[in-house]
Amino acid sequence: MAEQKSLPGRGLHTRRPAPRPPRSPSDIYVNTKTDFRAQLARCRQLLGAGGLREVRVHGLGLAIGRAINLALQLQLSHPGTLLLSPSTSTVELTDDLEPEGGEDMEPGARNRNNSAIHIRVYRPQGE
Amino acid sequence: MENFRRVQVVDEDDGQPLPFKNLHPDVVKMRVKEGSKIRNLVGYAVTHMLSEENGQIVFSAYGRGVTKAVTCVEILKRKIGGLHQVTKVQYKIVQEVWEQKGPKVQHPAPRLNVQKNYPSINILLSKEPLDPQEEGYQPPQSMALKETGKRFPLSHSEHCAPKKKTEESEGCY
Repeated sequence: MAEQKSLPGRGLHTRRPAPRPPRSPSDIYVNTKTDFRAQLARCRQLLGAGGLREVRVHGLGLAIGRAINLALQLQLSHPGTLLLSPSTSTVELTDDLEPEGGEDMEPGARNRNNSAIHIRVYRPQGE
Repeated sequence: MENFRRVQVVDEDDGQPLPFKNLHPDVVKMRVKEGSKIRNLVGYAVTHMLSEENGQIVFSAYGRGVTKAVTCVEILKRKIGGLHQVTKVQYKIVQEVWEQKGPKVQHPAPRLNVQKNYPSINILLSKEPLDPQEEGYQPPQSMALKETGKRFPLSHSEHCAPKKKTEESEGCY
């Protein structure tokens, strides 16, 4: 997902993909490009009959709204049986900078932060 | 919809209590919107939290404002350590009235009522300890762990999500 973007005076600027911690089948990383209904269908299948007790929905930056929407839609499709437990965090992202002005300049890197949300969608104990 | 324009937005949830238990009576509610400036929001919140003994603050946002609300909370948590957090998500119902416009419209103009469900977020930050059993509770983070590997001290522009206008087209809105 590395994107190239040119900012005036700063040379080329490549975004490294976001770090992804090791994922289990119950971790869903929401992005803004995948079809929303496909993501929803996948989660429904995971939580469906005989499936998992818990999925964790992660959304970064612009995908936070989508992640919330996904979790709420899941809750609506299993009325009364699912609980949501959201938490927020900061994710550090790295950009690679390629300076214009020839070979002699060192390529640099810059760090920036972005916000993320993690929503635990689970069935309460004793069901 | 090209020939319609939005004339009225009714917020159904306005005036309803916030979805948190045992709130302080003088809790501050920050309504974060898409165009709100992070420095204004965080600046006010920091002053409030530093001046109050048992300060509590709620950031609430819906639609495209949710990212900004989360960002504000993350900045505030780092500026003021030891904050307990409870996060709640829900749908927010907004009624909109659209009116037909254009040169050949009879009087009164035909109106459309539209109900929209926006995903919304409410985040409570408190200096006092909160119930750890509540859904969405997050204990205070240890600062030393979070600050390692940072090249710069906190600045707002760094934390902002990249400015990118994307129209979300989701069938479930």
